[in-house]
Amino acid sequence: METVLSIQKLTKNFGKLCAVNQIDFEVKRGQVFGMLGPNGSGKTTTLGMLMGVTNPTSGSFTWFGEPPTNKQRKKIGAVLEHPIFYPYLSGQQNLELMALIKEAPVANITKVLGLVDLAGRRHDKYKTYSLGMKQRLAIASALLNDPVVLILDEPTNGLDPMGIAEIREIIKKISNDGKTIILASHLLDEVQKVCSHFAVLRKGTLVHYGPVDDVGKGEEIVEVLAYHDDLALILGSFQGAENVKKDLHQYLVKMKDGFHSQDLNRYLFEKGIVANHLVTQKKSLEKQFLEILAEADAALIKN
Amino acid sequence: MLHLLKIDLKKLTNYRTFWVVCGLYFGTMTFTTSSGMEFLKWLAAKGAQLFGANVDINKIPLYHFPDVWQNLVYVSGFFKIMLGIMVVISITNEFSYRTVRQNIIDGMSRWDFLFSKIITNLLLSFFSVVIVFLIGLVTGLIYTPEIEFSNIFKDLSFFIAYFLEVFSFLSFALMLGILVQRSGLTIMILLMSRFIEFLFKLNIPDAAEGIKDFFPMESISNLVPIPFPKYVLMEIQDYVSVAAVFIAMGWAVLFNYFSYLKLSKSDI
Repeated sequence: METVLSIQKLTKNFGKLCAVNQIDFEVKRGQVFGMLGPNGSGKTTTLGMLMGVTNPTSGSFTWFGEPPTNKQRKKIGAVLEHPIFYPYLSGQQNLELMALIKEAPVANITKVLGLVDLAGRRHDKYKTYSLGMKQRLAIASALLNDPVVLILDEPTNGLDPMGIAEIREIIKKISNDGKTIILASHLLDEVQKVCSHFAVLRKGTLVHYGPVDDVGKGEEIVEVLAYHDDLALILGSFQGAENVKKDLHQYLVKMKDGFHSQDLNRYLFEKGIVANHLVTQKKSLEKQFLEILAEADAALIKN
Repeated sequence: MLHLLKIDLKKLTNYRTFWVVCGLYFGTMTFTTSSGMEFLKWLAAKGAQLFGANVDINKIPLYHFPDVWQNLVYVSGFFKIMLGIMVVISITNEFSYRTVRQNIIDGMSRWDFLFSKIITNLLLSFFSVVIVFLIGLVTGLIYTPEIEFSNIFKDLSFFIAYFLEVFSFLSFALMLGILVQRSGLTIMILLMSRFIEFLFKLNIPDAAEGIKDFFPMESISNLVPIPFPKYVLMEIQDYVSVAAVFIAMGWAVLFNYFSYLKLSKSDI
C-alpha cells in the first residue's frame, strides 16, 4: 500500500516543555487512522506541524513521499482544534475564499454544503451559526477540494448525540470513497467505531501504534450465566479455565491459551448444564487504551 | 500574484469596516485638498495679514500647475494614517480570528499570505496616487489662469515620492500588526511612532545630525518636503531628493522583510 504520510523523529519543544517527543509513524492510503491521547498529549501540536503552522524543533515528515510544501496542503482537507472562519463572511463566502486558496472548483461549494446539510443557511453570516453548524461548515470546508487526505481534530467536540452520529456517518462515507483519514480524538468509542489503525500519544510520546483489530486479541474472557447451584465449582474444574470470578450474578471465566468459548459451551453441555448467557467479552479500545497508558506510566517510573 | 490579490480583496471587500475607513480616507482627503482656495478666501475675509498687507489670494498660486502637485501631495500625506489603521485592522483580524492559521493549513505558504497583504498595500498606494492626481488635475485646470501643457506634466516625480510615502508607511503598519498582533495596541504604537522617533532624535548629538535622515518616519516624511513657506518667500526644496527615495525604499523593503522573518519563524 502506498504511504501517504511518514513521520521520522518529529519533535517540538515549547521552551522547556517537550510537547512532542521523537514521534515516528506511517499512514497508508485508505486507512482511517486514529490519534488518541488525553488532552494535552501533543495531538494538535503534531497535526499543526504536519499542516505547516507549527515549526518542528527537529525531525521530519513527508507527504506522499515528498518533503512538505504548501501545494500538498491544498490537496489535504484539515480542521484543527475548532472551526476557524471569518465571522463577518457568510458560510458561502467563507467557502468561496477557501476555494480561491485551495484552487478548488467553485461548483464544489454547493456539493459540500449539501453534504453537511447547510445549504439553507449558506448566505447567513458565520457568526450567527450554532456550534454544530460551525463544526459542519468546517467539515464541508475540509471536503471542498476533494482531498486525498482528510485530517479531523476532535470533529465531534461540543456536538449533540445526533450531530456526533451524523459526523460519524460522514466519516464512514468518506472513507468508503477510499480517502485516507487522520482523526484525532480523545473519544475512544468514536475511534473504535470508525478507525482501522490507531496511535496513542501520552505527554508527547508515542506509546502505541497498530491496527484496531489487534485490540481484541490476547486473552479471552467469557461471561457465563446458568441456573445451577454448583456452577462455580463446575466452571473451576474446566481444564481450559485459567480462573473464575464472580461478577454480580454472572461468572467471568478467563480462558487459557488455545481454549475458546465453544469449548466451554461443549463442556457445560456435557455436564448437563445449559447456559442462559454465554458471551465472549470483546476487549474495548477504552480498556486497551487505559492499559497502554498504565504500561507507559509504569515504564516511566521504572526509568 | 493576481491570485493572491484576489484572496485578500475577497476578505476586505466583504468587510464593512474596510469600506467605511476607505470612504473616510478618500472623502476627507478629497474634501481637504480641494478646498484650499476656499480656505484662503476665508483667511482673506477674516482680514489675515501678510507682510503688513491684506492677503491677496490671487497672488498665492496654490492650485497652479505645476505648484499644485507638490502642494496636494504634501497635504494628502497626512491622511495616510487612516489607511495605516485599516491595514492594522486587516492584519490583526487575521490573528484574532486565527484565520492566518487556517489560510496556511489550507495551502498558502507564509510568504503567500504576507505577499497578499503587500500587494493590497501596493494597490491602496496606487489608488491614493490616482485620486490625488485626479484632484490635482481638476483643481489645476480650474484655478490655473493660463494653462501651459508643459507645466501640467512638470514635477510629476512627486507622485513617485508620494506612492513610496504611502507604501512605506503601510508596510510599517503591516509590520507592526504582525509583530504586536493586537489591534488596539498596534494602532496606538502606529499613532505614536513619530513621537517615539522624535524622542530618539532628541538624544542625537549635533555632530551626528546627518543620521536623522535615516530614521524610518523621518525618511518617509522627507520624501515630499513642505512647499508652503515659499508663499512667504522662504526657500524650500521643490524637488524629490534621490537620497530620500532610496532611504525610504530601503525601509519599505526592511519593514516587509521583518514581517516575513517574524511570520516564518513563529508558530501560527
